[in-house]
Amino acid sequence: MKQWALNQSLNHPKRTIIISLILTMLLSSGLWLVQMEDDMLKLLPDDIESTMTWEAVQEEFGNTNLMFVAFGRTGESVFNTQALSDLWTITNEIESLAEVDEVISIATLNRMDSDDGFMEVSDLQPAKDLTDVEVDRIRTYLEKTPDMMRRVVGTNGDFLNVVVRPVIDVASDKFRNNVVNTCNQNLQDYKVHFGGEVYLTGSIPMLMRGDVIRLMRIGLVVMILIMLSSLRSISAVAMVLSVIVMSLTSMMGFMGWIRHFTQLDIFYFSLMNTSMPIILLTIANSDGVHVITKFFSKLRLSGNVKESVEGTMNSLLLPIFLTSATTVVAFLSLSFAPIRQMMGYGITIGAGIIWAWILSATFLPSLIILKKWNLSSSAISKSNFIERVTDKFGSIVIHHPKKVLGAGVVVLGIGFWGLFLLNVEVNIITFFKPGTEIRDSLEFMDAEMTGTMDLQLRIQGDIKSPKTLNDMITFQDFLEKHPSTTTTISIADVIKQMHRTVMDDDPLYETIPDTRDKVNNLFTLYSISGDPDDFSSLVDYEYKTGLVTSLMKNMSTKKIVTFVDEIKAYASKHINSDLSITITGMLVIFNDLVHLLVKSSFISISVSIILIAIMAAVAFKRFHWGIMAVVPLSGAVIMNFGLMGVFGIHLSHITAILSSIIIGVGVDFALHYISQFRNLAARGVPDSEISQQVIHEVGYPIVLDAVSNMSFGALLFSVFLPVMHIGGLMVFAMVSTSIGTLTLLAALVEIFKKKLRQ
Amino acid sequence: MINKYFIKSPISIGLGTLTLISAMTFAQTGYEVAKSVDERLEPKDMKTDMTMVLTNSKGQSRTSTLRTVNVNGGEKQMLWFLSPADDKGVSFLKIEHDDKDDEMRLWLPAFKKVRRISSSKKAEAFMGSDLSYEDMTNRNLDENDYELVKSEEIFEGHTCYVLKTVPKSVAESEYSSHITWVVIDGLYPIKEESYDRTGNLLKTKDFTFIKLDGYYTPIEIYVDNVQKNHNTRLTFTNIQLDTEIEDDLFQEKNLKRLPRD
Repeated sequence: MKQWALNQSLNHPKRTIIISLILTMLLSSGLWLVQMEDDMLKLLPDDIESTMTWEAVQEEFGNTNLMFVAFGRTGESVFNTQALSDLWTITNEIESLAEVDEVISIATLNRMDSDDGFMEVSDLQPAKDLTDVEVDRIRTYLEKTPDMMRRVVGTNGDFLNVVVRPVIDVASDKFRNNVVNTCNQNLQDYKVHFGGEVYLTGSIPMLMRGDVIRLMRIGLVVMILIMLSSLRSISAVAMVLSVIVMSLTSMMGFMGWIRHFTQLDIFYFSLMNTSMPIILLTIANSDGVHVITKFFSKLRLSGNVKESVEGTMNSLLLPIFLTSATTVVAFLSLSFAPIRQMMGYGITIGAGIIWAWILSATFLPSLIILKKWNLSSSAISKSNFIERVTDKFGSIVIHHPKKVLGAGVVVLGIGFWGLFLLNVEVNIITFFKPGTEIRDSLEFMDAEMTGTMDLQLRIQGDIKSPKTLNDMITFQDFLEKHPSTTTTISIADVIKQMHRTVMDDDPLYETIPDTRDKVNNLFTLYSISGDPDDFSSLVDYEYKTGLVTSLMKNMSTKKIVTFVDEIKAYASKHINSDLSITITGMLVIFNDLVHLLVKSSFISISVSIILIAIMAAVAFKRFHWGIMAVVPLSGAVIMNFGLMGVFGIHLSHITAILSSIIIGVGVDFALHYISQFRNLAARGVPDSEISQQVIHEVGYPIVLDAVSNMSFGALLFSVFLPVMHIGGLMVFAMVSTSIGTLTLLAALVEIFKKKLRQ
Repeated sequence: MINKYFIKSPISIGLGTLTLISAMTFAQTGYEVAKSVDERLEPKDMKTDMTMVLTNSKGQSRTSTLRTVNVNGGEKQMLWFLSPADDKGVSFLKIEHDDKDDEMRLWLPAFKKVRRISSSKKAEAFMGSDLSYEDMTNRNLDENDYELVKSEEIFEGHTCYVLKTVPKSVAESEYSSHITWVVIDGLYPIKEESYDRTGNLLKTKDFTFIKLDGYYTPIEIYVDNVQKNHNTRLTFTNIQLDTEIEDDLFQEKNLKRLPRD
């Protein structure tokens, strides 16, 4: 097989190139079938408790994932005819959107009035155009009902709040875009702020993807410049780039085809797939750089192109195959992640890696054969700066292996210690840098309005029982003591309001009635004078399940955990034991999801390392080579997470998942090193020279590969923290795995070279 | 009470058969059909027990039974909740007025209070059902335009007129139109489709009538709100017509007393 592939490239280069191009085009044609999916909610696993509770809540009470729109003019009271007229218009415009189930604002709320034994449920805002007297009447009513006021008017009275509830199963990006566009068209004379989880989940993917594409372009240019300055050959760089581009388009095309044929939603291109092109780019680049640099080094010695290509491929086919196979395994291990889409991610990137390997093993050598190389060019005849530095560095490592290993072990020890300091922490607001429009909006909503997040308590029991309703009130009082809670809403609030209204608007009766019959009478009264659908977001049809919603300011996952624990402790201590209380909401689900992802990422990393060790041991026919192969990447993983712990950088789902980059590239460097050592040992290179020669042969491509990929450190300049993490992780992965290979692995191999040669 | 000119009340729909004979003898306009239906004979009063079953989109149901009494096609009406136990004793009085808002009073036994209530929204549901206040109020003949879509169509074994009713703006209706299948031999409706203001189907209504004491009287009304996927089934039993109910009954003080069988 190996010989056949080599024969195709060496003896039929044009045919090989044409076939490669045709196959690539066929695969890439699936690009048009790729479907984008920007709905982050579809990524949620459906088998964790908070998600199941959340789904039950959606089923019973409709979509609870709300969006908030605040508009007004700073310092100007909203209680004027123009503002309320505009509120009427925007409320109706938003209500008319197909993605919208309900809009809550002054324009849609009801008022309950009592006058001389007369009870009336009527519109709080009776019409679009109001008189000053009618505006005053609305203000007076809201001042009498401060809970209601808090939900629809900002704390300074200068912003109106519009709460928008999407229909169930709507795509959050589509919903968000339509609501935002409607507001921008109708509220041009006002300052407008948006908030709510559905707004964030609808905004992030689109904005983040745009940012990644912009910064990736910069990274790609920097990468090309680095490679050009190092390889000093435009043809060589173009050849590597052609492999990269063909691998990328093939991978994306494969994604389109497989989605088309399987119709599985795991093959949609979602937010998490944004990192896929970057990862494949680094891997395809690695294959190409190794082939080209090895070819240059052989050509420099032999002067014969065909012979050099043959020699290059003979020594690289196995390591490139192995690096590709192990990386595929690493990515397929993502199938164990709790998010189903990760399986699609692993399969797709796996296909891309395999195609990159095939192209590097056939298409690239064919291109090299066809090119007429100038043997006297500096690219071929002279070593470059990186080669010389790498040789010098290698010499130090080889001459002081024990000291290098000792230093490495100390550094690893620090990293290991840091692992115990790691914190899982995500705060959505910090996804956005201060000063950005979204960050400003979110901070405004937290400071002036009801916040941007919510938490739901699903209470199962006899909802008409005064005891249950009083428990709800007690719970709400407890929730409202938390500094992040802005207000709470439940059916108990409505009952209190109705009770007061029935009792001639006496404030003393703004309480839960003392008997079940009275509570029931109030429900009956409302059903005759108002629309019972008004309660559908608060209590289920059979009055067996109620919902307490706590509107919150933005919270970090760590604070959510503490708060949820406090709520559970409070419930078990103070609340009627007949009630079943479960807590959910996007805050809780997000927290659960992040923890699950982090946990599963660690499992995935461990499984990958073990599988890679086994594969390397089998390929190199020695157990110890399996161990050696995973030393640099294990060290890099420990350092990555350990240093995050030491420097107080919180572990998030993004950093955890993207650690697969370390696995993907880290193992490549080690396998190239080991393979070269075995080649030289087989050729009888003496002990005294073997390590130096290995570093001379593979050190340069490893460093060039790492340095060129570090150009994606450009992502560090993103406005989104998760994208910055990707950039930071790229840089760190390249530094740690290349240095790990050229220090830890090199030192170990040098110390144990006699035993390893056996 | 219900129905403007067709369903005058879910409880008391009186349809005089005699008035229709002339209507069937020559071609009529939509208006003439509507007028004929409106002018049919009705019982002076009606007593009945009504079972109301509300079913939501998830198939969950709420069932109530009520005793109802009304006169003049529902112009004055009282109803008492018999079940569920939670509601037993709650009673309701409604008196329609041509020149002012309807009077509605509710007796809340747990509070021992009568409360006057009002809803300014015609489209609002009555007691959580799929019948709005508009559905339950007599349609004013002159506040609508009529079109006889078909002068004869066999529908569910009955020969029917197919009548289109379009409310004028003065009616301030929640609907844009109704299509009604009116049985020619009896002039009672068996099916109606009601469309919302945007022209989309909002409700379908199915009626089952029997002939009792010379009147066509409804024994079942089924209303399906196709937009909310929620439905209401009203079933009438123990129907008594023309029992000489006196106007004095329709007073606040009588809300507190459940009538004997």
